[in-house]
Amino acid sequence: MRKKRKVPYRRLALLVVLSLAAAGTLAGQGAVPNKEQTDDAAALKRFTVRVDQYVKFRNTIEKQLPALKNKEELPEMIAAHQQALARKIREGRPNAKTGDIFSSDVREAFRHVIRGVFQDPHTAVAHTIFQQQKEAQTVPLKVNGVYPDAVAETTFPSMLLQKLPTLPDELAYRIRGRDLVLVDKKANLVVDLFHEALP
Amino acid sequence: MNRRIFLLLGIFTVLAAGLRADEFKFPLKADSVRFAVIGDSGTGEQPQYETAQQMLKARQAYPFEFAIMLGDNIYGSSKPADYDKKFAVPYKPFMDSGVKFYAALGNHDDTNERFYKPFNMNGESYYTFKKGNVRFFVLNSNYMDPKQLAWFETQLQSAGKSDWKVCYFHHPLYTSAKFHGPSLGLRKLLEPLFIKYGVDVVFSGHEHVYERVHPQNGIYYFTEGASGSLRPGNLARSAITDKGFDTDRTFMLIEITGDEMYFQTISRTGDTVDNGVIHRNIRR
Repeated sequence: MRKKRKVPYRRLALLVVLSLAAAGTLAGQGAVPNKEQTDDAAALKRFTVRVDQYVKFRNTIEKQLPALKNKEELPEMIAAHQQALARKIREGRPNAKTGDIFSSDVREAFRHVIRGVFQDPHTAVAHTIFQQQKEAQTVPLKVNGVYPDAVAETTFPSMLLQKLPTLPDELAYRIRGRDLVLVDKKANLVVDLFHEALP
Repeated sequence: MNRRIFLLLGIFTVLAAGLRADEFKFPLKADSVRFAVIGDSGTGEQPQYETAQQMLKARQAYPFEFAIMLGDNIYGSSKPADYDKKFAVPYKPFMDSGVKFYAALGNHDDTNERFYKPFNMNGESYYTFKKGNVRFFVLNSNYMDPKQLAWFETQLQSAGKSDWKVCYFHHPLYTSAKFHGPSLGLRKLLEPLFIKYGVDVVFSGHEHVYERVHPQNGIYYFTEGASGSLRPGNLARSAITDKGFDTDRTFMLIEITGDEMYFQTISRTGDTVDNGVIHRNIRR
C-alpha cells in the first residue's frame, strides 16, 4: 500500500509568508515616495540651485582677475591668484553667513543621507571618520574665512561622496571634526558650514 | 642536527637574497619606459634631501626619464617658499637634466598644487598620460566623487588594450601598515574597475613605509610612502605582504619593457630593499 505523503504545512506557511514579504519589499521599491523623501528631494534641489548661483557669482569675479594658466604657474602666482580671488569673493558677499546654503531643510536632507551611509557597515565610513576626527586639529572655521592649508585636508569618505549631491569643479566638501564644510577650491575659502553634520 | 641544517639554510637564504639584490640589473632596453616612484616626500627635511641625493646617484646607473609622485608632495604650509624647500630644491638636479615629475594629490596637499607647472597636472586633480606602451591614470583619492569615477571608467575604456595600465593615487587599497590601514571604501569603488579593465599595477603612498603586496585579483599593489616621511616599525607584516621595509626612507625605480616590469626599491643609504620582475597577463 502506498504511504500517504504528509503535507509540510509549516514549511508551506513559511514559504507563503516569505513570498508575501518579498512581494511587499518589491512593491515598496516602486512605491510613491513618502513625505520625508519628497521634502529631502526638494531641499537637495534647492541646495543645488544655491550652489549653482554661488558658482556663477564666483566665476564672474574670477574672470575679472588675470587668468591662472594651467601650465605655467609659479607658486607666487598661484598664491596671488588665490588671495585675490578670496578677497573679491568676500567683498562680493560681505553678509554671507552660516546656513545660507546649508539651510535647515538642506541640513535635514543631508542628515538623512549621512545617516543612511553610516548605517551601512560595509562602507567603513564610520571608521574613516573616527580616524580623521582623532587627527583633526582644532581650527575654528567661519564663512568667508580661509580654509587652513597647514593642516591635513581630511580625506572625504568616498562612499559618502557617492550619495551627496555632486558639486561643480569649483567647490568641494570637506570634513573638519564633525562639521561638513563647503569650500571654494581655488580661493581656499569657506563658503558655508554645517555644524555637527556627522554623528 | 636539524638546528644546523636550519642555520645553514638561513645563511644560504640571506646570502642568496643579498646576491640577488646586488646583481639586480635593469635591462635598459631601447624602447623601455623608465621612471622613479616617490611618495610622501614633501617634508623639506634632511632625510628627504638625502633620499633625493641617493636617487640622483641611482640615476647615473639607471637613467630614468620621469618620476611619479604619490601625494603629500608639500606637507604643511604651501606658501611659495614651501614649494622650493619641499620640492624644487631637493629635486632641482633632476629637473635640470630634463626629468619630469607627474604628481598625484595627497591629503596634505593644497588642491591648487595642480596649477604648479613642475607637477605637470595641467590644472587637473586627476588626469592621464602615456609613455611608450604604458598608460598612466593619476587619481585624486582624497575626493573620489561620481564625476571622477565616471571619468576614470571612460579613460579605461578608451585605453589601448595592449598598453600597460598603471594607476596611482595617494591612499592604498591594500596595506599592512598600522597607522591608517587600507582604504576600504575606495577599494569597493575602484577595484571592480581595475579588474574589469585589466589594470596591471597600482602605486600608492599615505602609509609611511614600503610594501609590496601579494597580487590581489591579479593586480600588483605597491605602497611607497616613505620618500620623505617615515613611521619606523609601522608595518605589521601580514598574509598579503610579499615584501616590506619600514626602517628607513625609500624610493623605487621601474623599467617597463614588453610584458615585463622590472622594479628596484632603494633605501636612503643605497641598499636594495626589494627588487624583481613582474610578468603581466594581457587580457586582449
